[in-house]
Amino acid sequence: MFRPRFLSAAGALLLTASLALTACGSDGSGDEGADAKTLTLWHYEGPNSAMGVAWNKAIDLFKASHPGVEVKFEEKSFEQIQQNAGMILNSDSAPDILEYNKGNATAGLLSKQGLLTDLTEEATSRGWDKKLSASLQTTAKYDEDGIMGSGKFYGVPNYGEYVMVYYNKDLFKKYNIAVPTTYAEFTAAMDTFVKNKVTPLSVGGAEYPAQQIFYELALSKGDRAFVDDYQLYKNKVDFHGPQLTYGAQTFADWVNKGYIAKNSAGIKAEDMGVAFEQGKFPILYSGSWWYGRFNDEIKNFDWGTFLFPGNTLHPGSSGNLWVVPEKSKAKKLAYDFIDITMQPEVQNLLGNNGGVPVAADPAAITDPKNKELIDNFNKVSAADGLAFYPDWPAPGYYDVMVSGVQGLINGSKTPAAFLDEVAKPYNENLADLGK
Amino acid sequence: MSVIAAPSQTDSTVEPPAATAKKHRRPGRWVVLAVLLALLLLVVAPMLVIMVNAFKTPSDYASNGPLALPESISFQGIIDFWNRIDFSRKLLNSLVTSLSVAVLGVLLSVLNAYALGIGRVRGRIWFLVFFLVANLLPQEVLVYPLYYISKELHLYDSPISVIIIFTVIQSAFGTYLLTSVYEEFPRELLDAAEVDGAGRWRTLWRVVVPVSRPTLAVLFTFFFIWTWNEFFLPLIFLVSNENQTVPVALGVLQGDRLMDATATSASALVGILPALLFFLIFQRTLTRGITAGAIK
Repeated sequence: MFRPRFLSAAGALLLTASLALTACGSDGSGDEGADAKTLTLWHYEGPNSAMGVAWNKAIDLFKASHPGVEVKFEEKSFEQIQQNAGMILNSDSAPDILEYNKGNATAGLLSKQGLLTDLTEEATSRGWDKKLSASLQTTAKYDEDGIMGSGKFYGVPNYGEYVMVYYNKDLFKKYNIAVPTTYAEFTAAMDTFVKNKVTPLSVGGAEYPAQQIFYELALSKGDRAFVDDYQLYKNKVDFHGPQLTYGAQTFADWVNKGYIAKNSAGIKAEDMGVAFEQGKFPILYSGSWWYGRFNDEIKNFDWGTFLFPGNTLHPGSSGNLWVVPEKSKAKKLAYDFIDITMQPEVQNLLGNNGGVPVAADPAAITDPKNKELIDNFNKVSAADGLAFYPDWPAPGYYDVMVSGVQGLINGSKTPAAFLDEVAKPYNENLADLGK
Repeated sequence: MSVIAAPSQTDSTVEPPAATAKKHRRPGRWVVLAVLLALLLLVVAPMLVIMVNAFKTPSDYASNGPLALPESISFQGIIDFWNRIDFSRKLLNSLVTSLSVAVLGVLLSVLNAYALGIGRVRGRIWFLVFFLVANLLPQEVLVYPLYYISKELHLYDSPISVIIIFTVIQSAFGTYLLTSVYEEFPRELLDAAEVDGAGRWRTLWRVVVPVSRPTLAVLFTFFFIWTWNEFFLPLIFLVSNENQTVPVALGVLQGDRLMDATATSASALVGILPALLFFLIFQRTLTRGITAGAIK
């Protein structure tokens, strides 16, 4: 019988090979990697997006100020980073610096697992903390449980995002409607559209957009303390309190009044955007991430934006973060790179390409549309008005919110039943956190 | 049809019933054809949508929606995508990975099945059950163990890890299938080989493999296409862009909140073409059937 002998020989071979490989695999490097000669950098923004353009410039500037250092840039897929960041950062294939998602379940979790470098010292000595407003810093700092809002800096955002109202100027003109400045004017404008048999709001009920409308409505009755309670667990949230009750009730009213079409429960965000681009709806309520795309693709009508009338708090947050893995072999170079991305030159470029920079000089933004976008953001940010997103507080909460709000749209749930439904996982998560 | 035109009752009594049966069957046939056509359209529809959108400009897509025909044919989406992710490189990676897996997987399956199907080793039923179970395991279960092993062996982020993993996964199925084919292998051929003085090794390569070659070709084709289309494990094990395969690279276009529909269509089109091409080339081997050639 030749088989057993062959097998054991192969086994022995494998074993020795693995031993040899592990033996030569560990050479610890404790220094900050100041003399490293390569910087491996990952992000997942498209080359034509505002971030892609600005960061390409940052790479050029970095090369100029660090002669002899090779920058190895790789464009990653969002999916790959989202799924595998933990495994990659725990291996020798970790990059030296990468873009990563903000939030408790992502950057927070990795910081808790010790996979990210504490950036607090660099942030204070290089002045990044001065450039970031309080509500932007919320998503950059995580405590020892990986919960955002306090503790150490584990990431640095370059850009912000917020949710606003996009409107079709041509359709507003057609029905003689002025840009609303108060909540009453806003509903009056939508009433006019309904009277003329036009559904005012393009809503993607199958994804994130609908829940953000509910949250914005709740925020109109809320203040910063409510946001802190809801998002940062400072105090217990009453789901039948005035804010959330108003949000759910008003959302249901909007559906009944015909502001939101019943069939929008099954619409995806992408289709919502395309329907607005085709001029089928006069109003779209969604985030600044659409801005650059609308700018490029809407050719058949004139459009503009305004902040949700009457609110000081709006859904929004910092953008994704630059993080430095604990296993980075060139931490010093990574800090230098982050510093370059925070410089006015890069920040202004981000703004001029349709992004929302966190530290740009408004005077240097030349395009009037982009200026409007950034001015509005600065208004919200200066008033400490970024209220984050409704699905953030608990893991898996996104799907709970989507199906809950879908129930409100197609009328299968009363506002009270909806609030009960979303309260349950929220409170279960609180119990898990021991709060 | 000529039968009806010239009714010659003198011939036989068999013809008239056959002719009427034909007549009766005809409307039924049209219904079947219509149903089949509708089914075909249903299957092909997503491909058509991809085709239509791959050649549109983004602003054309935005103003006319996904179902309209393109205003003008634009190859820009495909060209941009090709250059953006260095598609030639990914094609090469996929080709090398899939080919290696197909060759090694078939080889391993043959060796296993020879022992189990023809060699009739003791407890072969349990071996087969084991392979079947290995086949049914979802890949998600395997991720963490494989991740730690590959890290220990310094094969993480290396195409070799993917080749090894898929060789084993594919050959689990291959062993299961080939064993049942080899159990039916004509004993006379084996006996004849033994009489001629051929050892086990010689019998395998000179008798068993040539006779079962059509089956092996089918296995090879399937292994190649399955490996080509794998997404989950390559996504995890091929970290660097220079190692990535085609399906992993296609994910680059899927953003956090936005998707670029025209570029995604272009990438989907470019991504499935190689597998489709390969399928067409080897279509003949596939139609010959999996068990064909077992007995001559």
